[in-house]
Amino acid sequence: MKECARVLFQISVWSMVALSLSNGRIAPVLAQQSVPAQQDSTALPPPPAYTPAPKGTLPVQDTPEQREALGRWKARAEQKSAEDRQAHNAVVTPAYNFRYGKKSPYTPGNIQVQGAGFIQPGAFPTAEYCGTCHQEAYSQWRQALHSNAFRTPFYRTSVNILIRDKTRGIAFARHCDSCHNPIGVLSGALTEDSKVDRARFDADGLTCTTCHSILKLDSTNGNASVEMGVPSVIVDEDGKRIPGMVPFDMILRHPERHSKAVMHDFLHTPEFCAACHKANLPATLNDYKFIRAFTAYDEWQQSKFSQRNPLTFYTADFTTCQGCHMKRDAITLPDYGAKDGKLVSHRWLAGNTAVPFYYGFDAQLSKTIEFLRAGNYLNVDIFALKKSSEDKLIAPLGRVAFTLAPAETVEAYVVVQNKNIGHSLIPEVRDLYEAWTEFIVKDANGREIYHSGFLKPDGMLEPRAHSFTNRPVTDQGEFVDNHKVFAIHSVAYDNTVPAGRSVLVRYQFHVPADVRGAVTVTAKINYRHLRQSYLNNIFGKDHPAYPVVEIASRTRTLNIGENQPQEPDPADNPDWMRWNNLGIALLDQNQYAESVAAFTEVVKLRPTYVDGYTNVGLTEISWEKYASARTAIHRALSIDPNNARALFYDGLLQRRAGNTPEEIADFRKVVEMFPQSRDARRELGITYYQQHDNPAALEQFEALQKIDPDDLAAHYNLSILYRRMGKPQEAAEQQAMFVDKKVDPGAPTYSLDFLRVHPEIATESIPWHVHSDLPEATGDLAHGK
Amino acid sequence: MASKWRDRVASLFAQVSIRRVCRLAVILLALVEVCHAANNCPWINEATASGLLGGDATGSFSQVSPTQPAVCTFVQTSEGGTRTLRIAVEQTPDFLARLDSEYKSCGMDPAPLSSIGNEARICNADAPKKLVAERVVGRVRDQVFTITISSTVKRDFTQNREALKARVSTAAEQISGNLF
Repeated sequence: MKECARVLFQISVWSMVALSLSNGRIAPVLAQQSVPAQQDSTALPPPPAYTPAPKGTLPVQDTPEQREALGRWKARAEQKSAEDRQAHNAVVTPAYNFRYGKKSPYTPGNIQVQGAGFIQPGAFPTAEYCGTCHQEAYSQWRQALHSNAFRTPFYRTSVNILIRDKTRGIAFARHCDSCHNPIGVLSGALTEDSKVDRARFDADGLTCTTCHSILKLDSTNGNASVEMGVPSVIVDEDGKRIPGMVPFDMILRHPERHSKAVMHDFLHTPEFCAACHKANLPATLNDYKFIRAFTAYDEWQQSKFSQRNPLTFYTADFTTCQGCHMKRDAITLPDYGAKDGKLVSHRWLAGNTAVPFYYGFDAQLSKTIEFLRAGNYLNVDIFALKKSSEDKLIAPLGRVAFTLAPAETVEAYVVVQNKNIGHSLIPEVRDLYEAWTEFIVKDANGREIYHSGFLKPDGMLEPRAHSFTNRPVTDQGEFVDNHKVFAIHSVAYDNTVPAGRSVLVRYQFHVPADVRGAVTVTAKINYRHLRQSYLNNIFGKDHPAYPVVEIASRTRTLNIGENQPQEPDPADNPDWMRWNNLGIALLDQNQYAESVAAFTEVVKLRPTYVDGYTNVGLTEISWEKYASARTAIHRALSIDPNNARALFYDGLLQRRAGNTPEEIADFRKVVEMFPQSRDARRELGITYYQQHDNPAALEQFEALQKIDPDDLAAHYNLSILYRRMGKPQEAAEQQAMFVDKKVDPGAPTYSLDFLRVHPEIATESIPWHVHSDLPEATGDLAHGK
Repeated sequence: MASKWRDRVASLFAQVSIRRVCRLAVILLALVEVCHAANNCPWINEATASGLLGGDATGSFSQVSPTQPAVCTFVQTSEGGTRTLRIAVEQTPDFLARLDSEYKSCGMDPAPLSSIGNEARICNADAPKKLVAERVVGRVRDQVFTITISSTVKRDFTQNREALKARVSTAAEQISGNLF
């Protein structure tokens, strides 16, 4: 009895302590009540009256009294901000799971915040506050993916898998949420026993004052490698940031101070986008090793649009991410940030159709589809036919005469050019996004003769379609169907098309013996934001059909009998470019002889086109035919001695010939012209390294690492160079990064395990393959069986 | 000296009936369970529920068996009355029939609520004795959820029907997000 009473007494005391602590903990977090997310701008109050000062007007000067008043406001704001933050931390920190140690509260994400401890959600002015004066930006943002980065079922299903994983949990979700829900991460909400009111920020994902409060880009490592400042919408006359919200008249009196607080030059750069549009799966997440998840930034940097890479097949005007995804548009709602009635788009139009479809954001959906179709991003070219009875290629189709007879077996060459996308087709989470070629052959009565790339009745893409996607697999050789990224150990294949390159897709079909009239052949590139099986994972199988967008297509009519040359379609590439794209595609499919032949057709059509000869040369280098490669490169340099692209390949050939001074001279010239060329820096570094010129090699590899922090050659060589120079700590760091980032040599076996049991798509892992429904080509796999 | 203290304690306990001790034990154990259970609600944390209810709320979670709905209840008590957030989630292979049944119990014509779960509807769930309530019924895949915010507090935000709808909708977004 006495023992019972003692235990009960103890229970009662601890219960009271627990209750009081519990109440004490949550009280400060409840300082503001939850505000439900606005779905559009209709709920915003009208903007305050404001007439912008004429251009060239100097900022207004404050009176001493106004300066004094602002000083008092600033002091109060700073004190309140500090007190609120302290109170927030007193509640949140004791219950927080410091999985990766007290010094790494946000790991596996790379995000950081200025000041001590977690930052309170209330420090971030709301989107509605910003939207009062920026109604156009607000209404666009509300429908865009950034504002919905966290709350969508498409994201929640993925991150919930990580949160529910028995060996991981919500602490690991900081990796994803650093970009998808930065306020959640920085406020310390991502812990098992969270003390943070999540209704205050979950629905706003990347709100205005997340992007506009970032003060520093830490690197281009991605995974949210930024430093968030304490949010501020205005600075004082000395440029010092004043935390929190201020009355609108304070901003409208000094719009230049508002701009200084929220508009930083780096917001216009691709490096800013890189913070989240580049991601890796670190060992802290997957307990395995570094795996590159995606990097739209590096793809852009290697594209013609960056003008940083001399090795691109084509050239273009410098265009940033913002240049395509944040174009200036006329405003339809009041917005004091507009210039000449135009504002940079805060819709970030891209390929995100599923989110506006789910939320019913019709304007966003229609503009997204318009964007996908309008950009001349892709070119589809039914380039050639090859009859099984002949070896000759009928090419370029439409420009040469040929005959076609009933009962012939024909192979069609479809060349898909990633013409004007500044990143790969498709980018980023390519295990979820789905773009594919649909190829249809019909007779004159509309009867289908051949069809590849169709959607099955259950909404699934037929497995033998040519899709521009990848297949990540686990260490058990199983497809990672549900974006369980921490389980990824290998990629069975990746059929995405890098920026500026082309792919050849071959289709074989049989012309019926009883065919009458002409045959039409159509090739389309279709796009669906998310694969059907992933949608099924999210909603079950009873969800509505999500939009499929035809991005580009080309149809050609083939007469049975004689076919004469035709005038090209206005959207067709010129003939030399058609051959060039075929050459590029064949090069990437390791068909060197055919590639050289295609590039040779290019120089026949354009004898002064330097890149035509360079393309022949670089293909022959890959083919290890160095003598003929030299001839082609010399021809290119004879036309343009300062052509950086030709000089680069000449450098490789000079190395092969043992002409070190010429090799160095070539690479140096390229580096001078393209200081951000990672290939030239790497090769020049290797040359210096081989010459035992350690300081010069070090300079190149350090420069290379600034351009690409993940370059393996830089890690490897720097580890050796640092050791030679008596810097063991730096050497060890580079060595560790090399070991972590180098592809696991055992990983391909996981891919093989997967491909072995999936013969229906195994051919997609082979660069040179043909799509066919003929029994001799497919066995019983035709039509997706 | 020691025996003197022993006698005093024994005397103290003698004054307390066994029945009272047991009653106290039940209350204390229930309190412990409530405190502990609050953090176990799988779909919303106490701070978020408190924000939605407009003050410090205390939560509890119960799941009697996998075949019956799991329930979280958050209660916020003030001088003027009580505000409650009640969440019930049931996973069932017969989810469409179950959902239909919930819709039927959700007033005459529950309004569709877009972008919550697979589907959801919102309805007035007022009860006698001046209980003001709004309810969201919906599903995520085969999980049927019912979320109700009710209040007996007069003259506060809960009397504003639109504000109450907004809060229960926000709760529904939080909860359905965690059910995905």
